[in-house]
Amino acid sequence: MSDAPGHSFAADLGGTKLAAALADADGRVVAELNEPTDPRGAMKVAEQLVASAATLARQAGIDVSGVRQAMVGVPGAVDPASGRISLIPNIAGLDDFDLLGFLRDRFGPRVAIENDVNLAMLGEQALGCARHCRNAAFLSLGTGTGLGLLLDGRLFHGARGAAGEIADLPIGRDPTAGMPAAMGTFELEVGSLAIMDRYRRHGGRDASTVREVFRLVEQRDPVATAVLDETARWVAVAVATLQSLLDLELIVFGGSIGVRPELYERVRQELPVLFSRPIAIAPSELGDRAGLVGAAWAAAHAVGQKAGSP
Amino acid sequence: MTRQLSRRSVFEALLHRSPISRADLAKVTGLSKQTMSEVVDTFEQQGLVRRVGRTSGNVGRTAVLYELSPEGGHVLGIDLGARRLTVALAEIGGRVLAEADEPTDGRGGAWVLDQIARLSDRLARDNHTHPSRIRSIVLATPGVVNPKTGSIEMAPNISGLDHLNVVGLLGEKLGHPVVFENDINLALLGEIWHGCAQNLANVAFLALGSGVGLGLYVNGELVRGENGAAGEIGYLPIGGDPLQAESRVQGCLEYQLGAAGIVRRFGEAGGSPVDSAKQVFELAQSGDARAIAVVGETARLAALAAATVVATVDPQLLVLGGSIGARPDFADQVARALVQLAPRPVEIRTSLLGARAGVVGAVSVALRRLHDEFFGVAELASALPLPPPAQRHAPQ
Repeated sequence: MSDAPGHSFAADLGGTKLAAALADADGRVVAELNEPTDPRGAMKVAEQLVASAATLARQAGIDVSGVRQAMVGVPGAVDPASGRISLIPNIAGLDDFDLLGFLRDRFGPRVAIENDVNLAMLGEQALGCARHCRNAAFLSLGTGTGLGLLLDGRLFHGARGAAGEIADLPIGRDPTAGMPAAMGTFELEVGSLAIMDRYRRHGGRDASTVREVFRLVEQRDPVATAVLDETARWVAVAVATLQSLLDLELIVFGGSIGVRPELYERVRQELPVLFSRPIAIAPSELGDRAGLVGAAWAAAHAVGQKAGSP
Repeated sequence: MTRQLSRRSVFEALLHRSPISRADLAKVTGLSKQTMSEVVDTFEQQGLVRRVGRTSGNVGRTAVLYELSPEGGHVLGIDLGARRLTVALAEIGGRVLAEADEPTDGRGGAWVLDQIARLSDRLARDNHTHPSRIRSIVLATPGVVNPKTGSIEMAPNISGLDHLNVVGLLGEKLGHPVVFENDINLALLGEIWHGCAQNLANVAFLALGSGVGLGLYVNGELVRGENGAAGEIGYLPIGGDPLQAESRVQGCLEYQLGAAGIVRRFGEAGGSPVDSAKQVFELAQSGDARAIAVVGETARLAALAAATVVATVDPQLLVLGGSIGARPDFADQVARALVQLAPRPVEIRTSLLGARAGVVGAVSVALRRLHDEFFGVAELASALPLPPPAQRHAPQ
């Protein structure tokens, strides 16, 4: 019948970059593209998603009308009841836009949207370093911070879809000491802006991006090294916090900063000092494709689609 | 299979809608009148249901009303606390028949096990229940059960349980296997069944007393973690210096926030000598400035722990429980401190059941296990929902 699974559309929508793919019935990626996110806001981004599906179908030599499952990862919290997106600073107007409804008009009812870090967690569970894990987390560290949680084998969203919004973990400089409550304490210590701020406070002059700070660390620059040590320390405190709360089997490190071995190894060395039981951490195996791989897998298998499913 | 499903759905209807007529049972379950009659007859023969009267209808014939019979089976819930032992007896329909409690035998070990057996036996006999009628027993304990040895570990406040096969010995003494579960998890389930968190699916329970602990209930299930250590928040590396020796041994947060930490901080602040955290709270209420400051700092530490929970698991409700957490004067302070720490507001309630939360939770799990033993269907993963505390519904 025409209800056979067929191909699925998967996307990982970021503030600056869109990654999209077509997946076969097993959830394996058969065509893939990367392009800059349309800067003109939510409506244009939604149209860009639909156009990318058509492009991918042409690449794969299939009819786009046969694509009737879709999963789109977004950099925000997705309300499990309404599919509304919030906490999404990067794409203008997306929190007021019915992305789910728009996509269902094009692809039919089997469309879902999901937090991007949750999809990265699913990707690592399906095809990456968290295979066979039932209790795990994907810790994303980059411009922002996020956490995808797998509890008892399933993605966990929380009461309002805001589980894992760890930017607000009260970890860092005393969060009650006169800092605006609206700013995420943890992100203020380990986000890329925080790292640059720390670098300047330590008197650093030679780097203007996090990438350059890491390069200076390789060159044994003392200021850059001190900055990274301090950053790793706060990340380790967050990891110990997660372990204390949830007793996880594995915590996967991802995101542009999280995958850096210089950071990751420092965190690994800090952990035994902070926590008496061993904590298993591993760098993301799928890297910046984890979210897309997870989206493809989820679309084909209709998993993790509680958020925003009919 | 079909028969088991029919029996299960009739039992569920009786559980939630007793007293009820056969006609209404058929309506509620969607089963045919004939199937219904067969099931109800079987239940009557087994002593699971009994007749409780007739409908007083305005028109037409009256109908016989049925309810679950207490003869169908009894369960025991036991809460083994460091200071107090509580036992509750309930019948299969969910009614708690009686409770008894006494101070936990300070000698620990085998004396405590004897005490549990004695108190349980007395409670059953006082309520004319022969011990053989008890079909399911659940015990709430601090610490964790070692599955290999049956001993209870990480429960330093009750001595002598870490080198006894507590599971095996207690099962022998009570004449029925005993299921052990963490006390904070059961207190949380107690609040969900009969307390302040009824009908909620995502709830966090923050227990503050001699120790600190967290119970997490998400999507209608307890979170236990990979090794059963989820919620061991005494070891949260916040609220103090995680590198301090005491933090490593006792847990960074617990060293500050546990009852001993409150007493210690009060002493460090130059407060008058006190024996217990309770006295610090009482001094704060009577206006002692140092005590007020220490209680305020305690609320801030509790709010820090709560904020990590809110950011990580996004619960609908946060319940404050335990001998310190359930103090009404304390919850307000925690709520005020949390506003500064958590970007999303979360509702906070104080435990409604207080010291009874653990034993009520133990009864709820014992009931679910009994129902599952009678009416479990392998294809249906979840246990039957339990009736709410006020379980009398008018017949439809």
